[in-house]
Amino acid sequence: MLGEFEYLLITAAAGLGDNAYGAAIREHIASTTGRKCSIGALYTTIERLETKGLLETWMGDATPQRGGRAKRMVRVTGKGVRAAKDFFDAVTRVSRGASWVIPTRTGSRT
Amino acid sequence: MTRADWALINYVSRLLKPDEREAVLGDLLEAGDNAWQGFLGILGLVFRREALLWKNWRPWLAGFGVAFPSSFLLMGASLSVSWSYMRLLCPELLQQASLTRPSATLVLLCQGLLLIGWSWTGGFMVGSLSRRTLWASSLLCYSPCLFCLSRFRVASLSPLCLFLFLLPAIWGVRQGLRIPGIKFSTAIVLAVAVTLLMLPQWNSADQHWWTAPRWTLNWLLIWPAWYLVAMARKSPTTAVRTSTNN
Repeated sequence: MLGEFEYLLITAAAGLGDNAYGAAIREHIASTTGRKCSIGALYTTIERLETKGLLETWMGDATPQRGGRAKRMVRVTGKGVRAAKDFFDAVTRVSRGASWVIPTRTGSRT
Repeated sequence: MTRADWALINYVSRLLKPDEREAVLGDLLEAGDNAWQGFLGILGLVFRREALLWKNWRPWLAGFGVAFPSSFLLMGASLSVSWSYMRLLCPELLQQASLTRPSATLVLLCQGLLLIGWSWTGGFMVGSLSRRTLWASSLLCYSPCLFCLSRFRVASLSPLCLFLFLLPAIWGVRQGLRIPGIKFSTAIVLAVAVTLLMLPQWNSADQHWWTAPRWTLNWLLIWPAWYLVAMARKSPTTAVRTSTNN
């Protein structure tokens, strides 16, 4: 099963579609989860997922906004979509029936 | 980012592969990260990449199983070769060892060939096992060399005599990096030759009880040769391709 960050990355890449590349995925994860995503975590996870066959990457076009440097484009494979869906289903199943009421100090043990 | 910041980041990013470097530098520019964030980000990526390599057993085996212990023993073997050469040049030493010139020449030849065989096979194994962690294996090989060099106190020999093994070892490493593998027949010939060459050394006239433990340790040096045989046997068609990713 996928790890939490792997799931976030695949979902972000799937959401961005043809515009999925390093900086865009980082920005997407940071803005939706409020969590900063380091370059190291991003690229090592992309590589790991690519090795597992869950992602495909290739070097895209360079843009002036990036100082003329190429993007590493990312696409989620069919296997990646299935893995993300399995993860989501598992999280949904395990969350069913969970109480999200924050226990108070006095009532937490009863 | 200032010019100096960018120069620093550019410099650190050289530790990355060219494609990855291009993408990472572009991402940093696009995201507008400051120099410190960029610097830490790239260092973090380099560190993670390196840490991933060390999750595999191969770099550990190459560094701590071969490079580090072998360099100590090979320095001893290099000194033995140098002594044998000195003995051949000096008739008094030859007489002291009660050896004739032809037999001393034969001993020197055997020791020289053995040193080349040990060093080459060890180097080949290190080269093929630790492609991307070769820097660590090299450090583990050179640190004992520096240690012994700093304590070398033999007046009649040059300290360079300690490093006779380095040339064949580096040759082995280069071959290990380049050649896709060794054929089983070549590997077995090499291993048997190295093993056979060790036998006369064990029984040679100048071996005494106090040198026996050292020679026992030298048997550790033949395991890379037999490792190559085992690997070549495991995949006879592709021969030894012990690691492509490490």
